[in-house]
Amino acid sequence: MWYANTENNMINTTQKVKNSLKKRYLKEKIFKASGFISIAIAFLFLIILLSDITIKALPAFIQTQIELEMDLNAEELGLTQTSSANEIKKADFRKTIRDALKKQFPQVTGRNNKKDLYSLVSIGAEYQLRDIVMENPQLIGSKLSVKLYADDDVDSLIKGTIERNVPESERRIKNYKLSLIEALESNGQISKNFNWTFFTSGDSREPELAGIKGAVMGSIYTILITLMLSFPVAVAAAIYLEEFAPKNRFIDFVEININNLAAVPSIVFGLLGLAVFINFFSLPRSAPVVGGIVLSLMTLPTIIIASRSAIKAVPPSLREAALGLGASKMQTVFHHVFPAALPGILTGTIIGMAQALGETAPLLMIGMVAFIVDIPQSVTDPATVLPIQVYLWADSPERGFLEKTSAAILVLIGFLIMMNMIAIYLRNKFEKKW
Amino acid sequence: MNTQKMTNNVIKERSIEQILEEHTHTVGKPFCENPKIRAKGVDVFYDDNQAIHDVSLDIDRNEVIALIGPSGCGKSTFLRCLNRMNDTIDICRVSGELLLDSYNIYAKNQDPVLLRARVGMVFQKPNPFPKSIYENVAYGPKIHGLTNNKAELDYLVEDSLTKAGLFNEVKDRLDAPGTSLSGGQQQRLCIARTISIQPEVILMDEPASALDPIATAKIEELINDLRQNYTIVIVTHSMQQAARVSQRTAYFHLGKLIEVGETDKIFTNPEHELTERYITGRFG
Repeated sequence: MWYANTENNMINTTQKVKNSLKKRYLKEKIFKASGFISIAIAFLFLIILLSDITIKALPAFIQTQIELEMDLNAEELGLTQTSSANEIKKADFRKTIRDALKKQFPQVTGRNNKKDLYSLVSIGAEYQLRDIVMENPQLIGSKLSVKLYADDDVDSLIKGTIERNVPESERRIKNYKLSLIEALESNGQISKNFNWTFFTSGDSREPELAGIKGAVMGSIYTILITLMLSFPVAVAAAIYLEEFAPKNRFIDFVEININNLAAVPSIVFGLLGLAVFINFFSLPRSAPVVGGIVLSLMTLPTIIIASRSAIKAVPPSLREAALGLGASKMQTVFHHVFPAALPGILTGTIIGMAQALGETAPLLMIGMVAFIVDIPQSVTDPATVLPIQVYLWADSPERGFLEKTSAAILVLIGFLIMMNMIAIYLRNKFEKKW
Repeated sequence: MNTQKMTNNVIKERSIEQILEEHTHTVGKPFCENPKIRAKGVDVFYDDNQAIHDVSLDIDRNEVIALIGPSGCGKSTFLRCLNRMNDTIDICRVSGELLLDSYNIYAKNQDPVLLRARVGMVFQKPNPFPKSIYENVAYGPKIHGLTNNKAELDYLVEDSLTKAGLFNEVKDRLDAPGTSLSGGQQQRLCIARTISIQPEVILMDEPASALDPIATAKIEELINDLRQNYTIVIVTHSMQQAARVSQRTAYFHLGKLIEVGETDKIFTNPEHELTERYITGRFG
């Protein structure tokens, strides 16, 4: 019998274990190494992606400006120092700028050459000048030097995205215009400054005037609506299903459908939003309120599923402790189970919110893809959101939008990182040990 | 050698199944005059599995009764019937009659919340709330509205902790989390929490099984003190513990109540063959 000789048998066992040890450790080593390699590869790709976007985005944070001497002639503008804001709005600042350019380059004649000259500054420059005057009407009648936005082509040339030493036929800026720019450059009138416009204005057809603020505000409004709708509903649903619902077929059916809902393609929710909220309930088009409702439908299953597993993970001993003291079911749930599950619920909520923040498809269907210049002031104003802004800019032919696209992606990623940090902070704050 | 001896023993004695089959009624003294709790013909089912068969048992006022028996014998299930903790298990069904004083515990109009305020429970594993020591004890009185102001509540918390023999150890750190205490202290905190709502009966489900001998000794001492004011039903795996803390002992086996009697008698001169085998350690 195998156990007949115990001593022999023990030697055998030791030997057998020894023999197998090498193989076991080798397996462990291989597993560890492959895990490490996987992480390294994932990390490498992340670094490549982020650094590529960052490098592409950096020029977007710099703006080229042309400093010109402005003659705010009261007679020509038809204004006085006491003119009202409305009068200033109607005044022709474009002419002032053109006069300044003509004064700088008196040698420019001919229709085409003049067109080149005037297109050195951005179309938005006149509004820039108007705003300066509106803020301080005392300037009317005086001369001052103003740094005007350069046109996006000038901007690209200065930043080097348009190369100067390629043949003229392959260059977007022709020789004549180039000579004008170089004259300004050698005069020290061209400067590169931090691009505040990018953070303070809405979208524009002109890359040098386009900003992210409209999309940021749109995203914030949309996410707030989503959070306010989906968090209470999802948490209430999760608590009911986990703690109160009877075990029957109907509840099983509901559960299956919640899980199915999580797998529905998001564009379907967009169609639903279009059909129900806009066409049937006549809610405004392109508005964050509709976007928020649609996205909360989409995030509901995510939060419900995460909340349910968080509630399920609360140790039953905690429930028994409360019930044993004579707490009612409701008291047990809200005094003990819910606070204990809160970290998990919050994590699920933030994941859902991050998902909603990055969602594009359903919002396309409800008109949030429109070109909107104004910064939305409320949840019913037309707006767009960050990922759609990325999509819109990526689709634009102007060179200047290339860098803007990457910059918008950076802002979006920044948002996501911020939300994740809030999630980690909240989780640590509410986490309790037992 | 050993194996052979054991086999011989089994052959010599009648098998447990045989004895159980012959067992028809509880031996000893399961009944008493004017009991605090009276169980009559209680059956408990989990779905189709019968966990408790026709148990009738009286629990006297201000006594400590120990429920002993091998694992899976239904002693915990029976205990959890007494404050309807079994309600939380969907598949659990209880039939028969259970009376607290003269109120039917399982009557339709009996509110489990009210019942559990009268019949407190201490669990096997210490389960303080993840809150401060003070909050742990104050929670019960708060939800039942037992005190009118903060001073009364403070007094009640101190009194409960004192009765649980814990106050001197924690008086300087009532704000510390209850989970920061040692296992034995946590269990005494749970006892303080239970007596803070002044129940009439305290059920204890192996309260010392997760504790070291010193902490166990403290809990046992505490049980002895609490007997003055409360009726205590304690489930235990340790026969020495049953012998030390209880006046009466009930022996369960496979869902049947085999024998009930004075603790001294059960441990020195049991009437039933199964009881004798269990307390002499031949199975369990």
